[in-house]
Amino acid sequence: MILEELAFLVIAAVAIVTAANALLVRELVHTILWIALFFVDLAALYFLLAAPFLGVLELGVYAGAVTILLLFGVMVTRKRIFAREAVTGIGPAPLLLAGLVLAVVVVGAEELPSGEGTVHAYAPALLSQALFNADGPWLLLLGLAMLSALAGAIYLVREGRE
Amino acid sequence: MSAFSPAGLLALSGALLGLGLFGILTRRNFILLLISVEIAINAAVLNFVYFAAFSGSSSALSGQAIAVVLIGLAATEVAVGLAIVLGLNRLRGSINVAEASALRR
Repeated sequence: MILEELAFLVIAAVAIVTAANALLVRELVHTILWIALFFVDLAALYFLLAAPFLGVLELGVYAGAVTILLLFGVMVTRKRIFAREAVTGIGPAPLLLAGLVLAVVVVGAEELPSGEGTVHAYAPALLSQALFNADGPWLLLLGLAMLSALAGAIYLVREGRE
Repeated sequence: MSAFSPAGLLALSGALLGLGLFGILTRRNFILLLISVEIAINAAVLNFVYFAAFSGSSSALSGQAIAVVLIGLAATEVAVGLAIVLGLNRLRGSINVAEASALRR
């Protein structure tokens, strides 16, 4: 399918460009705008991979909630929200590590599967059945983790703590 | 029903993981660190969705279920991270992680 291949190439290019821009621009607010675009783009990729529920979840949780939360964090921690970040140099150790990782990736790329795989579509109702039957324990664990995270976050920001 | 080459998808998530690691290693602002971690986690979630999409077996939906759980966990991590940002800002007046060295001797 040439059309899907083309759509995937466009989405992949947009994902890499937006993620790189988010990390490279110097205004923190612009970073958050780029990362919002990145999340919307990933949601499009989930729709392309026949996972519409995950696409909607990505739009709601990431492009919606996480972006606003990060923007709120920027808003309350600086006097001028468009202030620029200082440029940080890259030391020799990260460069060495990056070279090492690049070598591993180049070696690993030869092991990648060639040929085409078929994308199977599932009804979202089947996902909910899996989520509440076979994979139910994971969902319970997620709920417990969220509850303890809520308690921890309130503990961290409560008044009167020096 | 459409066909893809999985290699491109895997290369994309590898590139995104690399970008996230680059951000974690080079940025000093706590919020930028959180964003880098988010990019890296999203690369991992993408892998779960790929393999769920390409596997035809009946248990393939476990991949999507794990992706749902991971998205929830990542959102939780951002909430706790922002609580730490607020605490750090109140204690130090800055969210530069290089200045948060109270435990260092």
